[in-house]
Amino acid sequence: MLTLKNTLETDVLVIGGGIGGLCAAISAAQGGAKVIVLEKANSRRSGSGATGNDHFTCYYPKAHGNDMAPILKELLDSMLGLCHDTRLSVRFLERSISIADKWHEWGINMKPFGDDYVFMGHAFPNRPRIFLKYDGHNQKQVLTAQAKKAGAVILNHHPVLDLLRNDEGITGALALDMSGKEPSYTVVRAKKVIIATGAASRLYPPAGTPGWLFNTAFCPSCTGAAQAQSWRIGAKLVNMELPNRHAGPKYFSRAGKSTWIGVYRYPDGKLLGPFVTKATREVGDITCDVWNSAYSDVLMNGRGPAYIDCTGTGPEDMKFMRAGMISEGLGALLDYMDDKGIDPSKHGVEFMQYEPHLIGRGLEIDINGETSVHGLYAAGDMVGNFRSDISGAAVWGWMEGEHAAANLESGSLVEAEKSEWAQERMAYYDSFLTRPSGAHWKEAALGLQQIMGDYAAAGPHRVRSETLLCAGLKYLADLRRNAEANVKAANAHELLRAVEAFELMDNGEVIMHAARERKESRGMHQRSDYTFTNPLLSDKFLTVRKENGNVITEWRQRWSA
Amino acid sequence: MPPVINQDLCIGCGTCADICPMNVFEQEAPKMVPTVAYGEECWHCNACVLDCPKKAVSLRIPLNYMLLHVDAAQFKE
Repeated sequence: MLTLKNTLETDVLVIGGGIGGLCAAISAAQGGAKVIVLEKANSRRSGSGATGNDHFTCYYPKAHGNDMAPILKELLDSMLGLCHDTRLSVRFLERSISIADKWHEWGINMKPFGDDYVFMGHAFPNRPRIFLKYDGHNQKQVLTAQAKKAGAVILNHHPVLDLLRNDEGITGALALDMSGKEPSYTVVRAKKVIIATGAASRLYPPAGTPGWLFNTAFCPSCTGAAQAQSWRIGAKLVNMELPNRHAGPKYFSRAGKSTWIGVYRYPDGKLLGPFVTKATREVGDITCDVWNSAYSDVLMNGRGPAYIDCTGTGPEDMKFMRAGMISEGLGALLDYMDDKGIDPSKHGVEFMQYEPHLIGRGLEIDINGETSVHGLYAAGDMVGNFRSDISGAAVWGWMEGEHAAANLESGSLVEAEKSEWAQERMAYYDSFLTRPSGAHWKEAALGLQQIMGDYAAAGPHRVRSETLLCAGLKYLADLRRNAEANVKAANAHELLRAVEAFELMDNGEVIMHAARERKESRGMHQRSDYTFTNPLLSDKFLTVRKENGNVITEWRQRWSA
Repeated sequence: MPPVINQDLCIGCGTCADICPMNVFEQEAPKMVPTVAYGEECWHCNACVLDCPKKAVSLRIPLNYMLLHVDAAQFKE
């Protein structure tokens, strides 16, 4: 049986020791706050940035000039740009280079090519380049060490199960302590909470390898925890219905497509896109950033498959690409290619579009990074009105840590563990461990993927509609009810996987509610009953929240700069 | 996926079990060689391979993750 063994108090609680969480922890601690980080695994190697990254979006006046406008345009035109409140993008750009400076000072090599920052990759020919190329292979170790040095306490193997709040705002969080042999609960009472749990992988059947739940481009332990937990306590989510799909090597799912330096070709050698005929380290082939559905389209129309061809890339750039793959954390992919004799200077590698996941869709934040729940901030991939992946997490995490530490007087410490909600949730999770027998978590996880794939499908070539979405919501509720009554966890590991399955169900539910309300087609949100794109919605965002058990969807104007 | 631990090289330090983002490993007691308890949950992130102080861990990529490729000479015909 799970019991509450530890009740801790802190000024600022950070949930998730990824890039956003660690940067928030460092700045809050440097701002004088007492900081605890609750991390699901180990912050030295957790999350989508676990083993590296190589592109850090930022605005560097020395390289870009004093006018930020062209850089803002580039960001909004990029694959990151669909769901931005421009006010947040500007604030991010203003602070971005100062965070790159700090990272470099701490020991993450942001200048691997000499004395200054170099920008390349994900770029259009003859346009400003906004992606700082860096070597992030050690980023998690460096940020972990800095957080500890600043005085933050990191509790590894403490996944957060639920957020706790009262009428005034956030009061803390309930976590599962899986660090020892016997799991138990830990509650952290906090004046401010910064949630930074990353993307939501594993919502849809893996596009390449159905049934292989963990073959995902982004970290599969990122399961939309922030969206689910915040949704349960009434926070506002935004843009949840607009699907995002990443692309990369076929059947070996991995983010980092822009680290490959090559051009995309049809089987007969014709180029897929119009942008470049030869790729270099500075300007690669941006076709699949722009024509996001390319790899699916060419399969559906029979002209494919599509390959990345690096054979026209010069030998120096090929060496550079290999080094970049190590910086990006693609070591397993390189080892595999070496082992199997797959050589990008001789072979075309087929690329594919991966299944939809949530990144840059989720919690609505304000100009300080605070959500609609007072005292609860969100940083990173689970923010819904801003997206810039690694640098977005780093810069917003930093700014939110600063803001939280400077505004501690507006939060207070309460006995959060005694709330009805905390007691209810502790009994709820315990039921999965204590029931004598039952279903395996994987049945619930696969059930969700089946329903999402059939009733909340993302384009291209797949549609949503009022009838499909309503059916999906009904089936999801059935699945949840059955799973809650039957899933049996044999140990803490299985309990965590079950918790993740339920988090993903919350995300799926929100996606379907929002998708019903968006009565138009836009991007990969394709409605068979509303096939047009409505220009009246172009500058509007759709928010969703739950109030007294009712789902409330609201449209609002996009926040301009 | 899944990770494979070379029993002869492993010193039972538990680093792989501690740092795996997916909690794929289990270590019964300190100094014991960890077991790969949940191999099918491996994300092939390579953290265990990189951080093992004895280079005792490697990944076995499943047959079906096959990284489809062709001889690039076909593009020039």
